[in-house]
Amino acid sequence: MEETNVNVVTSQTEEKQYSSIRYAWGAICAFFGLSTRTHRASKKRAKLVADIVTYAVLLFGAFIMVYPFWWMVAGSFALTNIRGTGNDILNRMVWWPSISTFNAELNPEGGFRNYAEVFNKAFPRIATGFTFWRALVNNLLYSIVPVFVGVITSASAAFSFAKINWFGRNAVFYFLLAAIMVPGPSIMVSQFVMYDQLGWRTNGLVLVIPGMFGSIMTAFFIRQFLFGLPTSIIEAAKIDGAGYFRIFCGFILPLAMPAIMAQGILSFMGCWNNYMGSFIMIPKGEWINLPHAIQLMEDSGNGAYSGDFGVVIAGSVICIVPVMILFGCFQNLIIGSLMLTGSKE
Amino acid sequence: MEEVTVIETESDVVNSAAVAEEQIPQKKQRKPINQQKLQDNLWGWAFCVPLIIGTVWFVYIALVMALMLSFTNYTLNRGSMMEYLGNFSQNIVKDPATGAASPFYWYKEAFTYEIGTTYKMNEMGAHLFNTVFYMIGIPIGMVLSMFFAVCMSRDIKGGNIFRVLYYLPCVASTISIVYTFKILFETTGVINQLLNIDLNWLQLTGNEAETWNSLNNTNKEGAFYNDPYWCQGLFQKIVIIVMQVWKGLGGTIILYVAGLSGVNAATKEAAQIDGANGWQIFWKVTMPDLYPVIFYNIVTSVIGGMQIYMEPVLLFKENYMTSGYVSLIWRYGLNGLSASQARGAAYGMILAVIIFVLTMFQFYLDGRKKD
Repeated sequence: MEETNVNVVTSQTEEKQYSSIRYAWGAICAFFGLSTRTHRASKKRAKLVADIVTYAVLLFGAFIMVYPFWWMVAGSFALTNIRGTGNDILNRMVWWPSISTFNAELNPEGGFRNYAEVFNKAFPRIATGFTFWRALVNNLLYSIVPVFVGVITSASAAFSFAKINWFGRNAVFYFLLAAIMVPGPSIMVSQFVMYDQLGWRTNGLVLVIPGMFGSIMTAFFIRQFLFGLPTSIIEAAKIDGAGYFRIFCGFILPLAMPAIMAQGILSFMGCWNNYMGSFIMIPKGEWINLPHAIQLMEDSGNGAYSGDFGVVIAGSVICIVPVMILFGCFQNLIIGSLMLTGSKE
Repeated sequence: MEEVTVIETESDVVNSAAVAEEQIPQKKQRKPINQQKLQDNLWGWAFCVPLIIGTVWFVYIALVMALMLSFTNYTLNRGSMMEYLGNFSQNIVKDPATGAASPFYWYKEAFTYEIGTTYKMNEMGAHLFNTVFYMIGIPIGMVLSMFFAVCMSRDIKGGNIFRVLYYLPCVASTISIVYTFKILFETTGVINQLLNIDLNWLQLTGNEAETWNSLNNTNKEGAFYNDPYWCQGLFQKIVIIVMQVWKGLGGTIILYVAGLSGVNAATKEAAQIDGANGWQIFWKVTMPDLYPVIFYNIVTSVIGGMQIYMEPVLLFKENYMTSGYVSLIWRYGLNGLSASQARGAAYGMILAVIIFVLTMFQFYLDGRKKD
């Protein structure tokens, strides 16, 4: 009893020693949720302040992350073919596509002049007979066909690795997994020679056929997902007389659809944005894909739009919009799949 | 008589009966089991065949061929690669000085080829310097993404929306991002106006003769005779680093958010009751739990960072001051008709070895930490 009394007394005396400035400072700190020796902030207040700070930080970060895209959309309407006005717009923090650009006198084609240029005029300058629609069809071909077939072959391999017991399974699995250690650029040259001599470079097959054999990472992730499925389903199907092919088509594909979709969309995005593949493997001509075409558009030697940058930005927007829409539709699935990767490792 | 002596006790009888019971069904089931195993093996291989063929063909065979190519003097106009490599022993690259076969000619060339006049520098070393310089972005990105991930994993409303917004740059095509940054970082561009400075972010410093940007010009010898190599093109590299961090942040944040949600809440609470503050809890409880995710992130970022190629080349074209290592492979192996595929393959093999050694070194450090 005595000891506690003493403690209380000393603490009181200590408190009394603080100057009034210190008290005021403590009060201000407590208002902002920080406890000091003079004042103790309430937990509610501390949480509120922390939440507000968190929101502010996250909103600031989100602004930095998203604003360049909005700037791009706004800037794509800048009429850079008219000296002065258009380039001014590109040099500002644009919040909205500028109204002055829709001046009909300055620009007979209207506010969408850059997009009209991309759709109609820009691509034939790269190669004769080449159009925007051709580039778009190429891009769709390079991203839909290999991804669709490749995801199915990857899923079948994943099913085999996860649910079927066969001789040499683990050895084969690690043999395949070791292939991801090989960096792409270091085998780029021999792949280039190989594709060149197979004749795949001049007809676009180079970006189609290798992808159709599936990818190891995709197979790996789907395998991880399949481990979570109960084997009893397969056993039951086997007892009912279903063969493995039937099991794969009837059970595994529908059940693993979330993982397959997520991996498929991720690789679709990768293929859609695959500038490097087209740049290295496909010679300048009618088989190049959309990002490569935009790069050639910007290149002063070929397309001569480097001084008219609004057109290039418009092309970039066209290139980004499909993946953005796709990501917006499937963001839950994609982010969930990526989170799964993070928690598994 | 013998049977009688063997079966003496009750337990023996039971045992023998059990043995007999085991044996009988085994004999009956032997055939169906084999059938099942046959099916398993057949279908197991059949489902894997496409992936195995693809991997072997496009990775392993390509790797072996690249390795063999790097010892030869192959170029595309020498005809079929398979035939050329078939006569491997005759086609080993010859040293032009001596005329004798020297299989490691391209490797020696890579390690000894020097550029510049006053400040001599190994060409490969210059590109490696650039590549490693860009890796400054990895720790910056890790700290930033950890910060944002901790913010997002507080129990606030709308954390998911932020996750999606931060992931947007990862989805976008590199080419669009590069062109956007190209205008944002112009001399009269948005960044300079915001910072109220007049900095030349995108043009390489000095006169062209003084810089290493001589690839498009003929005066290769006139390169960089004024400044030491490392201080040329610093701002250009900073632009690349900013772009890399900005583009890669979202993916890392998602990894960390996933890792943070897996941190044991009970341990955290226990630490809190014991009087640890938030900072201590973060370092002593959260970080050790997050270690595997961080390690995975470091390994993948270093592997990816060694392969940087597109961003500097798209922004600044090929040059000695900003291009990453991979542009050597492109420049010598793939650039036009005059390219020597053999030399490019040699550069590729060196890259593979560097990445392998770096990865193994990280795993070695990881193993030492666990001990």
